[in-house]
Amino acid sequence: MSKPITTFEDFIKRILIVIFWVALLSIVVIVPVYYLLDSVFHFPVDLFALATVKPDQFLAWQLSLLQTEPYRTLFALTVFPGFSFVAVYGTIFMGWVERKFTAKIQLRTGPMNAGKVEGILQNIADFFKLAFKELVIPEGVDKATFLAVPIALMAVAGGLISLVPLSPTTYIANPSVGAVLIFAILGFTPLVTLMAGWASNSKYPFLGGLRALHQLVAFEIPMILSLVGVVLLAGALNLAPLSPGGASIVTAQSTIWFIVPQFLGAVVFYCCSLAELERIPFDIPEADSELVAGWQTEYTSMPFGVFQLANFSRMYIMAGLFTTFFLGGWLGPAPVPPEIWFIAKLTIVMIMLMLPRSIMPRLRIDMLIRKGWTMLLMVSFVNLFIAMLLISLGVV
Amino acid sequence: MADLVFLAMMVLTVGSAIVALEADEIIYGAIGLAGSLFGVAALFFLLNAPYVAVFQIAVYIGAVAVLILFTVMLVRQEKWAKEVPPKSAARLAGIITGLAVTVVLTFAVLASNLSQFTNVANSATFVDIGALISTGDSAILLVLALVLAASVVGALTLSKVEREEKNQ
Repeated sequence: MSKPITTFEDFIKRILIVIFWVALLSIVVIVPVYYLLDSVFHFPVDLFALATVKPDQFLAWQLSLLQTEPYRTLFALTVFPGFSFVAVYGTIFMGWVERKFTAKIQLRTGPMNAGKVEGILQNIADFFKLAFKELVIPEGVDKATFLAVPIALMAVAGGLISLVPLSPTTYIANPSVGAVLIFAILGFTPLVTLMAGWASNSKYPFLGGLRALHQLVAFEIPMILSLVGVVLLAGALNLAPLSPGGASIVTAQSTIWFIVPQFLGAVVFYCCSLAELERIPFDIPEADSELVAGWQTEYTSMPFGVFQLANFSRMYIMAGLFTTFFLGGWLGPAPVPPEIWFIAKLTIVMIMLMLPRSIMPRLRIDMLIRKGWTMLLMVSFVNLFIAMLLISLGVV
Repeated sequence: MADLVFLAMMVLTVGSAIVALEADEIIYGAIGLAGSLFGVAALFFLLNAPYVAVFQIAVYIGAVAVLILFTVMLVRQEKWAKEVPPKSAARLAGIITGLAVTVVLTFAVLASNLSQFTNVANSATFVDIGALISTGDSAILLVLALVLAASVVGALTLSKVEREEKNQ
């Protein structure tokens, strides 16, 4: 062991550490090993006879519970593909990926110290830092609205998470109007950013909120129009099949992914996703060098952490929707499970969304609005006509 | 479950409508309006009309409520917060009129045979709705499209004329 025991405190600490490890190992190692040996040698005396539930039976019982209804939905909502998966994979892991990726492009090292490999635990350390920081509520803010905004933004993200299907059966909700419902839920975002800007009672957040409103409204229309072609080609509004073998946007791509006939639509959707996520080159509402952090300026501690969580969740959602609409969702060769295919494609799209951050400058607000209302709108109309042409010619 | 959601959405709709009318802070009024419209959208969902619900949210919350909020924030003046409340007689008359309308509408609904209406198992798919609009009612659709196009062109022309006048 390390240093010699000199004080009574050290003595107690050492004993507690030993007890902790024995307790942990007995659960994790000794009991499973005992049961493994018992199944081979059939010990005459059952050492764990007093235990009411055997670990193997307990595990089987838990797995069977997951097949029954209330628990299945709860599991889908909270663990996979719901909140915990998005928080751990989409936020903590992909957040680390973004930092390392940006760093490598700029010939830096990025986080190196937290965790053994390449600072992989950096974002978990950052989470704890945010969780224990002081929550500063500036004077003159509208307290109720100010504190409601992070929760509302996360609620918008949560509503969208529930619509992304990871496989024909792995989803939280699959309404018959899925493709339209996405835009209905996205419509809440300008409201939330505007509220954040107003409630902060400070000029930078207010300017950021107004800019966010202009940007989000300008890019919402091209985004909707870029998907009309996909819906026309698929002949369905639901993302996953409503009944086994039924029509859906993903299963319509089994012959060819929609990114090929709808390439312009995919480009428009990608640009609009960047604008919706307020990422460089469309980070005008945040604009570090002009507006501090835009409508998020006055937030500290965990509300700021929730903003980060919501922003990365929205990036996960946008990448998931791009995968669903243009890259054939979960479709892929058989031995690999559909969820893995979906997550692999989603990860590539997320990295594509991160790429402009390290290589592009920021647009000016008037350039952005002109791009949104004229160029992208035109391109999405052209894309729509291509879809109509393909259908009328009977190609698809 | 549906009953519980219905009751919750009723409370949300009516409660936010009251907030929208009665809030001293006009921003809260705008948020209350958004909440009330959201409650109505949820009621449409419960009534098995997802298209109406989705467009209720997209248009009324995504556009109308945001526009109102935006306008209020742009032309905000402190005196709105201290606006004199209307006289109690006018308020009483308003409440009585509202109640009278409610009572009349309730009797009208009860007198009709809406209560015997049985639940339709399948809601119409968007293909059905599209076929209905583009075959039977295509004339109405065309007229609406022309009206919208004319108003958009008119709005663009008006804004352009104003800008030119400013430049001179």
